[in-house]
Amino acid sequence: MRTIALAVLSASLLAAVPSGARATVDAVTTTEGLAAVVREVGGDKVRVTALSRGVQDPHYVDPNPSLAVKLRNADLLVDIGLELEVGWLPPLVNQSRNAAIQPGGPRRLTAAGAVRVMDLPAGLVDRSQGDIHPMGNPHFLSDPRRVLQVAAAVAARLGEIDPADAAHFQERLASFRSRVEAAEKGWKAQLAPYAGRSVIAHHQTLTYLLDWAGLKAAAYLEPKPGIPPPPSHVAGLSGVVKAAGVKGVLVENYYDRRSAEQLRDLAGVKVFAIPGDVGGTREATDWISYQDALVKALVQAVQ
Amino acid sequence: MVNIALLSLLAAQAAAPDLGSQGQPFPTGGLDVGSLGGIPIGKLMLLPDIAVIVDGALGYTTLRSDQQAPSALVLPEHKVWPFLQEVEVAFQATVDPYVRGDVFLTFDANGVSVEEAYLTTLSLPAGLQVKAGEIYTPFGRTSQLHRHQWNFVDQPLSMQRLVGLDGLSGFGGDLAWLAPLPWFAELHLAYQAARPGLGGVQQLTGAARLVQYFDLADWATMGVGLSWSLFQASLPEQWKNLAGADLYVKLRDPASRSYVLLQGEVYGRQLGGQAFGDATWGGYGQVVWRIDRFWEIGARYDDAPAPVAYASGTQQTWTALGSYVPSEFFRIRLQPSLAVLPGGQSGFQGLANFEFTMGAHGAHPF
Repeated sequence: MRTIALAVLSASLLAAVPSGARATVDAVTTTEGLAAVVREVGGDKVRVTALSRGVQDPHYVDPNPSLAVKLRNADLLVDIGLELEVGWLPPLVNQSRNAAIQPGGPRRLTAAGAVRVMDLPAGLVDRSQGDIHPMGNPHFLSDPRRVLQVAAAVAARLGEIDPADAAHFQERLASFRSRVEAAEKGWKAQLAPYAGRSVIAHHQTLTYLLDWAGLKAAAYLEPKPGIPPPPSHVAGLSGVVKAAGVKGVLVENYYDRRSAEQLRDLAGVKVFAIPGDVGGTREATDWISYQDALVKALVQAVQ
Repeated sequence: MVNIALLSLLAAQAAAPDLGSQGQPFPTGGLDVGSLGGIPIGKLMLLPDIAVIVDGALGYTTLRSDQQAPSALVLPEHKVWPFLQEVEVAFQATVDPYVRGDVFLTFDANGVSVEEAYLTTLSLPAGLQVKAGEIYTPFGRTSQLHRHQWNFVDQPLSMQRLVGLDGLSGFGGDLAWLAPLPWFAELHLAYQAARPGLGGVQQLTGAARLVQYFDLADWATMGVGLSWSLFQASLPEQWKNLAGADLYVKLRDPASRSYVLLQGEVYGRQLGGQAFGDATWGGYGQVVWRIDRFWEIGARYDDAPAPVAYASGTQQTWTALGSYVPSEFFRIRLQPSLAVLPGGQSGFQGLANFEFTMGAHGAHPF
């Protein structure tokens, strides 16, 4: 009994000793990609929790009340925005009782506010166009340029929340930027021989990646955003494959690959399963390794 | 939904206001920031999210009306009967920095009613939150759900006959406390003028509910709830006490759209003229399997008090469900059911339903 009491006392004393490496900010992100960015900028000063997993389609995360508990004491909530999380984040924020993370709140950072958004709908907008994102395409975290913009916004907001460590966050941002820029040179070199070539993607998740890579999407497996591909659409895509010289189809690993495989059988294209986010595959452990996996798949898909 | 980004874009592209004979606008004194005349369509940005949800059905039954009642749905016997179930119109917005507002109006063959209209606080301390207005009583699980959140086309008869034909609701307030625990544990205390039972008069109602969710694994979540309502009963046939327990399990591989839901509830009801030991009990259990992006099937067993055609006994109902879900905003359901009545009589009911949603994208149910 005395031994147990001593052990408890020792543990309590150890816990009370100030540690230079202790996290001072509890950050919660909606996706693992955002968590990876916050981790790069925050380092050991920030404890990061992601509400969804990298293997998960971020459009269809369950609003499990258990997630509201993670938001209750969050010092910062980072979301993508552009209605990517509209089906599950608002009820969780309301359940959390954390007023500061409500939209526009001082502890809420919507990453879309830091980047130029693509695929803005033109003309009339209605759901005959599918389950569109009426505010623009939210899948911007596969573009190194925009990731650095998001990282800068994260560093600035972390600095406001924890002014004592603001310089630390800026140093880590600079380090992340230099590593991304160095990696980007290698990625660009791999992609350069194939500039202008086309791929087919499942959903409009690759708009930013392809724009950065100098490649194009000849078509999408989905006939319209969020509408699963019927066989007639897949059959029609075989003509696109020939016309645009498409050699590869890229499908995030949370999507059903049967339609892509049908197209492979019809038109002879190669099918590549890619991580949908950081954590989407075992190798994609941080943002740079995730991007590395995407670039490798892109190069293989256009060769 | 009002699209703020698009409106901003439109506003930025909007022409400057026509100043007519004034010619040039006032000198800016070198200031070239801002927009002449402000944003002409800025008022639209303050509109609430608006959604319209329509449910219609085709029904057939072999049961007489007195073998169906009391029920929220009484069909003509041996006729294929088309009917509008409900049109729900929802308005949702943040009211000010302190509260948000949610209003749900229901249109059906009986006219218009307020399904819910309440404010929710956003910034109370100590894990507290208040809902005030016309609200569903925090009692049970399925009785608080709006029609478009139901997996099945109708509510279990045990809920209808023991809690209320349309659930339990009324004007009042619900104070909810999120306990500072590592799992989700929420305690509700409500005070309302609710209308329990079979469409009777309003009764002053106090309700308490404890609901907890546990993540059993990455792919498994369990929710358990205990509910109790106490009613001011001045007549022997009025509701006096209502108790409920509910269990909910969701099994879902995070990488998949497929999942399995297991759900069950038990209700006990004591009338004003009854001794506690003579309370009436009932309940249901159901399983729903979302097979893939398009298809969902389910089965439900329901044990409810007998319909009005019988002096006593219980009714068991076995129900099957098949749903086709082309998109997040449209679904078609087929629901056959077999009712076994007191004395061994049985009857069939079939429902074919369609449901569509226009407007704002609501939250996914859990």
